[in-house]
Amino acid sequence: MGEYIIRRIIQALVTLFLVTVFTFALIHLAPGGPTQVMIAPGISPEAFEVQKRNLGLDDPIHIQYFRWIGNLLQGDLGTTFKNNIPISEILWPTVGNTFVLMAIAWIVTLIIALPWGIYNSTRVYGLSDQTAAFISYLGFAMPTFWFGIILQQIFAMNLRWLPLSDMWTYGKEGNISDLVMHLILPVTVLSLGFLASYVKYARASMLEVLDQDYIRTARAKGVKERRVVFRHALRNALIPIVTILGLDLPMLVSGAVLTEKVFNWPGMGRLFVDMAVAREYSALMAIVIVTSVFVILGNMLADILYAVVDPRVQLGRKGGGSK
Amino acid sequence: MSELIEQEKVSSDSQADLRKPPGPWKIAARKFVRNPYAMVSVFVLLFFIVVSFSAPYLTPYDPAKIDFSSTNLPAFSEGHLLGTDELGRDILTRILYSGRISLTIGFSVALASVIIGTVVGAISGYFGGWIDTVLMRFVDVMYSLPTLFLNILVLAIFGNEFIYMILILSFTSWMGVARLVRGNFLQLREMQYVEAARAIGVPNRSIIFNHLLRNSIHPIIVNATLMVGSAILSESALSYLGLGIQAPQTSWGLMLSNAQEFMLINKWLAVYPGVCILLVVLAVNFIGDGLQQALNPRGKKHPVRRLNEWRKKFSKSAA
Repeated sequence: MGEYIIRRIIQALVTLFLVTVFTFALIHLAPGGPTQVMIAPGISPEAFEVQKRNLGLDDPIHIQYFRWIGNLLQGDLGTTFKNNIPISEILWPTVGNTFVLMAIAWIVTLIIALPWGIYNSTRVYGLSDQTAAFISYLGFAMPTFWFGIILQQIFAMNLRWLPLSDMWTYGKEGNISDLVMHLILPVTVLSLGFLASYVKYARASMLEVLDQDYIRTARAKGVKERRVVFRHALRNALIPIVTILGLDLPMLVSGAVLTEKVFNWPGMGRLFVDMAVAREYSALMAIVIVTSVFVILGNMLADILYAVVDPRVQLGRKGGGSK
Repeated sequence: MSELIEQEKVSSDSQADLRKPPGPWKIAARKFVRNPYAMVSVFVLLFFIVVSFSAPYLTPYDPAKIDFSSTNLPAFSEGHLLGTDELGRDILTRILYSGRISLTIGFSVALASVIIGTVVGAISGYFGGWIDTVLMRFVDVMYSLPTLFLNILVLAIFGNEFIYMILILSFTSWMGVARLVRGNFLQLREMQYVEAARAIGVPNRSIIFNHLLRNSIHPIIVNATLMVGSAILSESALSYLGLGIQAPQTSWGLMLSNAQEFMLINKWLAVYPGVCILLVVLAVNFIGDGLQQALNPRGKKHPVRRLNEWRKKFSKSAA
């Protein structure tokens, strides 16, 4: 077990290292290189040279890389080109906003999806099961941002029940009921996307367990069906569900780029898109690294959690496995 | 009369059956044709392909031509079936031309990522050993990257060329196929016929192509089909964010981002492109499911395992 955890941590570190190298290389592969990107066009050649030296772009590439990594490790994410604002100042508040949105959407989804999936597993191909299948087909095929736009039109523009976008009404920052009103539409959009997979997942996981011999034994010896489902089956069915939840944890920070853009939610995804449109490369790099840290950490935790919860997992489980 | 011909055809068919049992492809085709969802989807998809690629013959307008004398016409106006947008461009024309771009990207990304994935998976599964370890670690790394963020980053740096978009989308979506092919190869390479081929001196290359790849082609086809749908969704998302297709070109995602801006004026603007995306992706997914059922003679795959694959394919592009 200890060995497995250590190996998994090392793997996570290596992945993170590769991500930083990859991101750094991308910037240097950009047409015109980082000089083109980081220095304002149209300045005189002398000023250009001075700028280049000041920014450290004259140094050998590996020194530039290590300087960047060193700064990152100290929590210095750099500054924006325009206005020279420290990136950490604009980034961290947005992480919190995204977390609020995603966590609520996630919890709402779980509250609906798990009981629904379990119920469907006991009545396969019933009306409720077919409905869930229909919803998940829609959820997989529909552009989530389009769903958001349609909801905006119906509930904000036509019916005027809910606010159109943003997190707070101007002047009402901190008002919880105002926040809830603003949350309803984006949470609905996000939940539909999650629901599509979670209901199916809970159902499939339960079905697999309900098919096992010990369930038949339990029924044969006269255990009540309710007890079979909730005591005997659910406990084991929860293992893969918990893993999936773990794998989706990083989504709490990274998951909502499109939804945030549609509803103008001041989160990290929207910040990233805005920075991408404004070609703020150092901000983009910083956000990619921060997101990757969350994603890699989440994946690692999920794997370790899986090994802890399910003793059948071989310790040498290769990430993903072969089949 | 026609009934007679029908009967004759049936009887000649059954005669053919007596002479030679139908091949696996024929069985699969019959199964597929009997699946109503899949067949309807095939027609829907074909309809979209035909209509959008013959757009210049179907509509007299230029999708990018701005005409301020006829802006924001409602649907069913004279000469403009779906009306015009805020710049006086014919909406139906734009939908058709958008379909070209979205479908092209969908199919090219699916093709490219299947090729990358198959090559990587084949090498990894056939040779095994340290090559396998290195390649699969690489797949793990690719899986743990935030895909949408990466796509946006690359498009922001390199500019929003059509070709970059295809490249980056396929570069971030080949891993599923690679794992699938590798798994299949690991199983198949232990088969006796592979051993026999090796014994009589068949070179590696033709073992891979003629023996192994041919036997793992079914799941690859299914996977490629489903990938078309997710590529179309990714394209529309990137274009919506303003980082994909740029004006004067047009795509369904780009039209949606326009529509959101002008939804006070014309609320139907947002409906058409979204419905198009929904229909095409639904059709592609149904076809993929139909193929899966038709090509898999040994019954259903394990539901959890299948769901796992589904999840991997779709979770990145969702949300």
